[in-house]
Amino acid sequence: MLGFVIRRLALSIITLVILITIVFLITSVFPDDPGRSLAGPFASQEVVDSINERIGANDPKGEQYFRLVKNTITFDFGDSFQFNRPVSETLFPALGRSSKLVALGLIMTLPLALMGGIIAARRKDTLIDRGIVTLGLASSSIPEFVSGVALQYVLAVKLGWFEAVAAPNRGFFGELKFLMLPAFAIVIVYFGYIARIARAGTIQALDADFTRTAYMKGLSSRDVIRKHVLRNSLQPTVAVVGTQIGYLFGGLVGLEVIFNYQGLGNLIYNAAREQDYPMLQAGVILVAIIFMICTLIADLIIAWMNPRARLNVRS
Amino acid sequence: MDWKHLDSARRDAGAIEVDLIEAYAQGKINRRKFVKRGTVIGLSVPFMGGIIAACGGSSDGGGDSSTAEPGTSAAAVGSTPAAGGGAAGGTLTIANQKPSGPLDPIAMQDLGSYNILAQSFEFLVGLNDEGDIGPSMLATDWTPNDDGSVWTFTLREGVKWQDGSDFTSADVAATMDRLVASNNAAIAGVFEAGAVDSSDPLKAVFTLTASNGNLPYLVSVFNAQSVITPVSYEAGSTLDGMPNGTGPWKLDSYDPSTGAIFSRSDSYWGEAPLLDTINIQVFADIGGTGVTAMQGGSVDAIQQFSVVGGEGLLGSGDFTVLAPPSAAHREIWMKTDTGQFSDPRVRQALALTFNRQAMVDQLFTGRAIVGNDHVFADFLPFFDAAAVPQRERDIEMAKQLLSDAGFEGGISAQLNCGDLQEIPDLANIIVADAAEAGFNLTVNVESQDTFYGNQWCPAEPADPPCSGAAELGIVDYGHRPVPDTFLNAALKSGGVWNSSQYFNPEFDSTFEDYQRAVTIEDQTAAATSLATILNDEVPIGMAYFYDYLSGHSTAVTGMQVTALGHTFVQKASKS
Repeated sequence: MLGFVIRRLALSIITLVILITIVFLITSVFPDDPGRSLAGPFASQEVVDSINERIGANDPKGEQYFRLVKNTITFDFGDSFQFNRPVSETLFPALGRSSKLVALGLIMTLPLALMGGIIAARRKDTLIDRGIVTLGLASSSIPEFVSGVALQYVLAVKLGWFEAVAAPNRGFFGELKFLMLPAFAIVIVYFGYIARIARAGTIQALDADFTRTAYMKGLSSRDVIRKHVLRNSLQPTVAVVGTQIGYLFGGLVGLEVIFNYQGLGNLIYNAAREQDYPMLQAGVILVAIIFMICTLIADLIIAWMNPRARLNVRS
Repeated sequence: MDWKHLDSARRDAGAIEVDLIEAYAQGKINRRKFVKRGTVIGLSVPFMGGIIAACGGSSDGGGDSSTAEPGTSAAAVGSTPAAGGGAAGGTLTIANQKPSGPLDPIAMQDLGSYNILAQSFEFLVGLNDEGDIGPSMLATDWTPNDDGSVWTFTLREGVKWQDGSDFTSADVAATMDRLVASNNAAIAGVFEAGAVDSSDPLKAVFTLTASNGNLPYLVSVFNAQSVITPVSYEAGSTLDGMPNGTGPWKLDSYDPSTGAIFSRSDSYWGEAPLLDTINIQVFADIGGTGVTAMQGGSVDAIQQFSVVGGEGLLGSGDFTVLAPPSAAHREIWMKTDTGQFSDPRVRQALALTFNRQAMVDQLFTGRAIVGNDHVFADFLPFFDAAAVPQRERDIEMAKQLLSDAGFEGGISAQLNCGDLQEIPDLANIIVADAAEAGFNLTVNVESQDTFYGNQWCPAEPADPPCSGAAELGIVDYGHRPVPDTFLNAALKSGGVWNSSQYFNPEFDSTFEDYQRAVTIEDQTAAATSLATILNDEVPIGMAYFYDYLSGHSTAVTGMQVTALGHTFVQKASKS
C-alpha cells in the first residue's frame, strides 16, 4: 500500500508541474501590462512602470515561470491586483466558503443518491427503477444555475423560507440557512448522476459470481448486500465522487454568482475578468491541488476496497 | 413686504448675501432656489426664514416637488424620517456595489467605495434634511468674503478621531493638499496646495485661486473623495489599513469579496446611532443579485438599483423607494479634434437623431427627464432651462447637416460603451435612431474597467488627458448638485476626463466667468452661455438626467441617501 501511495504522489507532482506550465502559458497571453491593471486607468505611466518593476512583470519569461513554481511551493503569490492585498488573504477565506458549500451539498446528495441507486438496482426494470433513473436523468440535465434561480425565486423570494443570497458573518446556523438553497441545486444536478453510477455498479455486483456464491452459502439478502455487494458496487461511485469534488470547488461559478457567494469559483471568474493574474494563478493551482488530493483519496479508498486496483497501478 | 426686516437683514449681510436677498425680494428666483443658494453661501435657516417671511412667502409653492413612490415617505425623497426614539439595537444589512479597488479615500472612483468610506469618515459639509448640503458634519457654518475668493469654515468643537486625538483644521488642510496633489476633478484649478490656513484649530480658511460661488459643494458629501482624513494619512492609505474616522461608525472588518462590518463609534460627536452594527454586503451585480437579495429579505436596504431589473422593488408594498435629487446622466462623447466628428454639423446631426422621450420611456419608464446636450439640470438655482431651446428629433435636418458636412453617403463608426446598467441598451437605441439619418454605427460593449482604460480615457498619451479616447462613446456620470465637475473635468480644455478633446477658448473663458460668479445674476448669465455653447457645438450628446433609485424595507426608518451612493444610517432603526 505504501508503494502505491508513493507512486500516486509522484504522479500528482508531475501533473502539478504540467498544470503550472499550462497556467503560466494561459496567463501569458493576457495583455502584458499588469501595472496598469493594478494602478488603474488614471495612474501616471511612472507609477505603472514602477509597479511593473516591483512585481517583476518586465523580467524574462523564464524567470517569471520559475517564480511561479516557487510561488506554488511556498504558496505566496504576492498581492492581488484587484484588492491590493496578499492573495492568500482573500483566497483562503474563499476556500473555506467553498468547502462549506461542497460539504453540505455532498452531505445532502450522497445518501440520497446512493440509496436511490441501490434501490433502483435491486428493483431493476420495475416502475421504481425507471422512476429513479428517469428522475435522475431529468434533474441532472438541468444546469445547477438554472435550478438555482428557480429555487431562489420560489423558496426564498416568494415563500421566504430561505435566504435569497449568501449572507456572510451570520454564524453557523445563519450560514446554514443560506447554504441550503445552493446545496439543493447541487443535489438536483448530482443526484441523478451519482445514482446512475451507483445503480450500474450495484447491478454489476449483484450479477457477479461472488454474490451468487454468497447467496448459495445461505447468507441473508441483507448480509450479502452489506458485506459483498456494496464494497464492490461503490468503487465506481467513489471514483466519480472523487473527481466531482474537485470540480465542485472551482466549477460552481454560475451558482456562486446567482447567490452572491464568494467561493473559489466566483473568485477565479472575477480574477479572469479583471486580469488579476496572481489571484487567477493561485486560484487555478489551488483548485488543481484540491482536485489531485480528492482523486488521490478516492484512489486510496478504491485500493483499500479492492486490492486489484493496487495491482493495476503497479502494472 | 416687511421692508424694515429686509433692511435690517441687508445691513448685517455681506455683498453676496445682499445680492441673494435682492434677487429673492425682486422675484428673480423662487423660494426653493433662494433656500438652496442661501445654504451654499452659509445663510442660517432662521435667517432665511426671516427673509422669506419678510417677503410674504413665495407664491409658487417653492418647496421640493415630490416624486415619492408607493411606500416612500413624502417628506423627503432622499430619506425616511427617523422614528421617534426608534427601537435601539440590531444590525442593518445594506446591499452595496462591490468596490472596484482598495478603500483609498483619494483614489476611489466608484459608488461602492464611496459608501463604505463615508460610514467612518465625514465631510466638511454634510447634508440637510432635504438632501442638499447643510451643516450636519464637520463644519457648522461657512461664509465667503465679498468677492467669494476666501471662504471661512467654522469647525465643530469637540470632534475626535476614533483613536482619541482631536480633529482640527490641520486635518482639513492636509486632506485638501492631498486632493490637490491627486488632481481631484472637482477642485482642480479652484485652489492650490497650501490654500487652507489652519492657524486657528477650529477655523479652516480657504484662499482660492479665483472667486468661486460653489466652494461648499466642492468640499461636501457631493465630492466623494473630499472625506476628511487625519493628518497622518498619506497617499495610498486605506480605511481598512487605518480605520480612524470621526463618523458614527467604526470599521470592525473588511473583506473586499464579502463586505464591511461597522459598529457604533463611542467617540462620535453626535447622537449615538440606534443600531449596534451595520453590515455592508457587496454585490458584483447589485442590479441583479442585489435586487433579488432585497426582494428575498436577505438585506434590509439597497444602495442603488435601476428601473430595468428593479420592477419587483418598485411595485412592492414592503419596500420604500428613496429617490434623492439627481443630475446623474450619460454623456455621448464625440471626438472634436480629429476624425469624422470633428465637424460640429456631424455632431449636431447625431444629436438630432435622438428620440429622447422614447429613451426616457423605454429605459426608465418615465423616471428621467430629457436632456438638451448640456450638463445643467433644471433644478439648479441659477439655470433657466427655457433659455436654451430643447433640441427635438429631426431626421431630415440631420441628413441635411451630414450632407453639408460632406457625408452624403453616411458615416460608419463604432459606438463604445461599458457594460453598466442601461448603457448597452441606450447604445442600441442610438444605433437604431441614428441609422435613419445615415449613421452606420456598431456597438462595442466592454467591461466597465476595460472600457474606461481602453476607450474613454486611456492613460497614454497622457498629454492632453484622454487624447487616446475613441471617437465616439457613452460614459456614465454620477450625480453632482452643481455641474462644476462635469464642466471642469469633461469639457474644459485639457480637462482630466475630456474624452471629446473639446478645446474652445470661448467656453473656457465663460467657464471661468461661471466659476467666479457669486451673484445669482452673474451665475445665471454664465450658466446660460455655457449651456448655449454646448448645445450648439455638441461635444457631448446628453439625452437624459435619470432618477437615482435606492431604498430599504418598510421595517427600516431614518435612512438618508445621496445620488452618489451614500447610505447614511446613524439615525436609522429597524423594527
